Amino acid sequence: MKIEVVDCKGVKVLALSGDIDMYSSPDLRKELMHFVHKKVSPLLVDFRGVSYIDSSGIATFVEGLKSMMGYGGKLKFVGIPEKIMEILCFAKLDRVFEIYGSIDDACRN
Amino acid sequence: MEEEPRVTVLEDYLKGIEKKVDNLKVLIEVSSLISSTLDLNDLMPLVMEKAKNVMNAEACSILFYNRETNKLEFEVAMCDENSKSDILKKTITLEMGQGIAGWVAENRKAIVIEDVSKDSRFFQGADKMTGFTTKSIVAVPLVGRSGLIGVAEIINPSVKDYDTEIFELLCRQFAIAIENARFHKESIEREKLKQQLEIASSLQKSFLPESPLIRKGKFTISAVNYSAAQVGGDIYDFVEPSDEKMGVLIGDVSGKGISAALYMAKFISDFRYVSHGLDEPDVTLNRLNSLVSKAPRGMFLTAIYSVVNTVTGHLHLSVAGHPPFIWISAGEVRVMTVESGPPLGIMPVEYPSVSLQLRCGDRVIFLTDGVFDAKNSAGERIGFDPVVEFARRHAEDPQLVSRIIEYVDDFSKGMERADDLTMVEIWWNA
Repeated sequence: MKIEVVDCKGVKVLALSGDIDMYSSPDLRKELMHFVHKKVSPLLVDFRGVSYIDSSGIATFVEGLKSMMGYGGKLKFVGIPEKIMEILCFAKLDRVFEIYGSIDDACRN
Repeated sequence: MEEEPRVTVLEDYLKGIEKKVDNLKVLIEVSSLISSTLDLNDLMPLVMEKAKNVMNAEACSILFYNRETNKLEFEVAMCDENSKSDILKKTITLEMGQGIAGWVAENRKAIVIEDVSKDSRFFQGADKMTGFTTKSIVAVPLVGRSGLIGVAEIINPSVKDYDTEIFELLCRQFAIAIENARFHKESIEREKLKQQLEIASSLQKSFLPESPLIRKGKFTISAVNYSAAQVGGDIYDFVEPSDEKMGVLIGDVSGKGISAALYMAKFISDFRYVSHGLDEPDVTLNRLNSLVSKAPRGMFLTAIYSVVNTVTGHLHLSVAGHPPFIWISAGEVRVMTVESGPPLGIMPVEYPSVSLQLRCGDRVIFLTDGVFDAKNSAGERIGFDPVVEFARRHAEDPQLVSRIIEYVDDFSKGMERADDLTMVEIWWNA
């Protein structure tokens, strides 16, 4: 998995690529919690390059989301590939996370 | 009588030869030290003491390169007082390029500085903290097969005709020894972890029902559960909330390893406590949700809890973010995606419930994602739909669950099981 931090018109975007699994989740957690500790909001996660996510990856985002809720922060997912959307829908996590089609959509809302 | 030929050898030349012999002796000694132990903590002081003695130096140190922080940290510091060594180890780190060691690490070059006071690269912070006075330094990079390991330094050597060649040769051997010791330590840790996972796996199994098969009236409830190599967090359980009813749980804890096994153990004890005498699956999930909501690291659990009346065939169930299940009735295989709440432990929510009226001969099969997430050697996942298609082709087979597992195993032949695989079947026998 690769993590790239992009600044998009003043909004922080974590652009991810590859598999998010039990081996790569610790790196993702480190990066995500870095922004959470700084109380960054909104924080966007760009999934366009992600090929797979397992439950450890989802748990990392759940931890980030719960921590962000503590300071009223918003965690927004964008560009989720169909197969990953299927996993999120299976688990009804599409109701837990804010999901948008594009970075612009996420910034507008 | 023939006169023996006379050879004249200069004294300097002889001294040079003697020195080389001495150097070789040191190298041989260090080689035997290196091959005598794979414990880095034993090895480092022994080798550095040897180097310190050869150069008749006041002190010596090893700084290890920390890849994560991109800094150099004191690992060994040998001088006249242990307190000074402790100060160095506990308080001082060097950036790459900072100080003599930082320069050596950055440039991967050995260096001899006869008077540090005349060298702007010298970092005075260490001397200020320890009260030690550094006058001269010989510093050599430790570079192994995997790149920079650190820097070895000899401080204030009294041997003035510094021969760095011997120290460099020694450090080259030393770098290999450090790498070997690290590989050895890692392999021991891997073995320990493997043993801990095996214990976690057995503990996990011990929380599951004693028998994976239970018969009540005309109903047979059975489960199969295979653990992943990394120990996943699949769970199933059977309880009897009342005389005519059976409670059937299937769940999957997020993540893998010991944390998943522990979370699963906590959950199953919470479940048995909460479900006792309670035959409403939605209420059961609501209560469990609040009990597991404080789990660390965002851990959660997907689950289906169903309560079947073994006399009437009424099935009442509640779903918490768990994958769809299969209902086989009169030979027809239906994929049941029912109204569901999110996984347990994420947010406060009221779980919905649904009711199904089973008929004699019906089968309901719950499964975890280990079934349809199985990977083949090409890295492809089997997927949910092909598993359902396979079930359709074998809907009448009494051994359907076993057939599905064979199908999954055949797909992922030669691959280590990456996730737990669990299937639970409720069957109203004809």
